[in-house]
Amino acid sequence: MLFELSDAEVTERIAAGHREAETEMCRRMAPRIRLYGLRHLRSAAAADDLVQQVLLKTIEALRAGRLREPEKLAPFVLGTCRMTVLDLRRTARRQEELLEEFGGILVPEAAAMPTLDDDQLARCVGSLRERERSVVVMTFYDEQTAADTARFLGISEANVRVIRHRAIQQLRSCMGAAA
Amino acid sequence: MTTPQGNGRVCASPIDTAVLMDYWLAALSPDDEDVIEQHLMTCDQCGDRLREIIALAEGLRVLARSGSLNVIVSDQFVSHAAETGLRVREYAPKPGESIQCTVAADDDLLLARLTADLTGASRIDLSWRDPRGIERQRMQDIPIGGDSGAVILQQSITWAKASPTLSMTARLLAVDAHGGERVLGEYTFNHTRTIPGPPGWTID
Repeated sequence: MLFELSDAEVTERIAAGHREAETEMCRRMAPRIRLYGLRHLRSAAAADDLVQQVLLKTIEALRAGRLREPEKLAPFVLGTCRMTVLDLRRTARRQEELLEEFGGILVPEAAAMPTLDDDQLARCVGSLRERERSVVVMTFYDEQTAADTARFLGISEANVRVIRHRAIQQLRSCMGAAA
Repeated sequence: MTTPQGNGRVCASPIDTAVLMDYWLAALSPDDEDVIEQHLMTCDQCGDRLREIIALAEGLRVLARSGSLNVIVSDQFVSHAAETGLRVREYAPKPGESIQCTVAADDDLLLARLTADLTGASRIDLSWRDPRGIERQRMQDIPIGGDSGAVILQQSITWAKASPTLSMTARLLAVDAHGGERVLGEYTFNHTRTIPGPPGWTID
């Protein structure tokens, strides 16, 4: 079962020409690449583009045997994510020809994002203390930094983080999330 | 941090939720961020938890932008809301003043800027009273900007749009350690309903 192989074993099989191992590598790495893309590109569509581009580059490298230490697949993919995000920011150029060549395996089923009960979330936010609610609203409205919020509240950035963490903890608990 | 496991295996060193949120908010140092990204690239369990955090953050972003919360906000927040194209309706009564106000169907944010001398108050409450003097809502220990001399309240726009024509009085109260109260400012809002249709709620 390919699912049970280590990253290093998957990498070695790709270098040896096993196409199923490429599919397994894509299945395994795509959700992780997508999370990286969401964090750095702040767009689901851009994150999906990043997944495709990074997987393309990774398959090319692995097929060519350019990853000399197979156990370092994850660091290689992370490095490729970083370089690709830089490229995307510089040029926003698509690699459509390569996409056509590699086809469907580049778009494995994305990990589903959890859904929230919006009304319940509003009730939970309403139950926060005033200071916590202000910090949450100003943080998430436009991702204001802790420094901006600290300036408004006349407290330290560390205190803002403590208030925010406490509020998030309370919200997760109120929403029924696991600890 | 020990090496985590992918492929559905149990993570030996799960990343703390607060750290995941800081990661999502880009609030970590570059070195700490690097450690987190290396972990996430091999650990689906923490990736799943990060997805939960992202969903919560997205829900909070939508909620914060909906204007439906009663919350104290900053000048910077108000400026940014206006810059991003939101239709902001703001009233700024002076202490003791009684003003006429309303809300339109296409307003996005409703703000009350309450000026007062806030110096020396360790805790400030914002109380809302109906025309009979009955307290209907109290926001306890509201956050106060260091040198603002004003409190900016975002009043729930959904609540206001459903409001009947009525007068409500806001009071900024300094509350001491023993529960004693001192009025810092009183502001009366005479709201006229201009949105067609019946109000969504009435006062008892």
